[in-house]
Amino acid sequence: CCKDDQASGSKKPISLPISRVRLIMKSSPDVSSINQDALFLTTKATELFVQHLALSSFNNGSGKETNSLSYSDLANTAQETETFHFLTDILPKKILAQDYLNSLEQMQEEEGADY
Amino acid sequence: MASSSGNDDDLTIPRAAINKMIKETLPNVRVANDARELVVNCCTEFIHLISSEANEICNKSDKKTISPEHVINALESLGFASYITEVKDVLQECKTVALKRRKASSRLENLGIPEEELLRQQQELFAKARQQQAELAQQEWLQMQQAAQQAQMAAASATAAQQAGSSQDEDEEDDI
Repeated sequence: CCKDDQASGSKKPISLPISRVRLIMKSSPDVSSINQDALFLTTKATELFVQHLALSSFNNGSGKETNSLSYSDLANTAQETETFHFLTDILPKKILAQDYLNSLEQMQEEEGADY
Repeated sequence: MASSSGNDDDLTIPRAAINKMIKETLPNVRVANDARELVVNCCTEFIHLISSEANEICNKSDKKTISPEHVINALESLGFASYITEVKDVLQECKTVALKRRKASSRLENLGIPEEELLRQQQELFAKARQQQAELAQQEWLQMQQAAQQAQMAAASATAAQQAGSSQDEDEEDDI
């Protein structure tokens, strides 16, 4: 039902491509078979997740005055919201080059006179 | 955008679908490109998260296939309980749509008319249509013929009139 792209004007229950969601699920280790209804649920949950992430990041973010959403808005929201913590692995906060050099210097100092 | 490398890790939701959702959720908001890319990757991450959790729950039960129940429990335990109501509603909607479709096709099948009868009726209709076409064609042809005859007759009488006129002239000359 939800793959029907010709539904003009009427609100489809699901807009993300279900087949792609299935492929991604099956690429998870150990996942064997998935019931079709379970697939629908997961697809819809993913849609809700996108909306949730986008809205939270925008509302908590620095772009509200300028009506914009940036990478760091997303990264910050992921860090600050517990349910989004699973994202921090793929969300390295973009490190400024200067900060990196500073922390590098710090590490060298700590290691002492071995150099 | 199909992944050509065949590497499972490259699987993501198509960027266009994500862009559309972002636009609908945050209309008129400028979203940076790297932010969009990030959302795409977060989706994949989310799907893995739910699948793994649901899979674990499934393994603990005596079922082999991940069921809707498993997914719902996974959402709950991962802190996404707020999604559950809407997600369940959609499932119901999908089932209703599928049911309507099946009913519609079976309504056609179950008009009570067996297939051979339907075939016979179809042949009848075709034969009728062919006949009507033939009659129409014949009528047209007849009309054309009549028109052609009339044209011929008109041409003939016009020539005759001309000839008659010219012979009259000769007679007059003779009189003088």
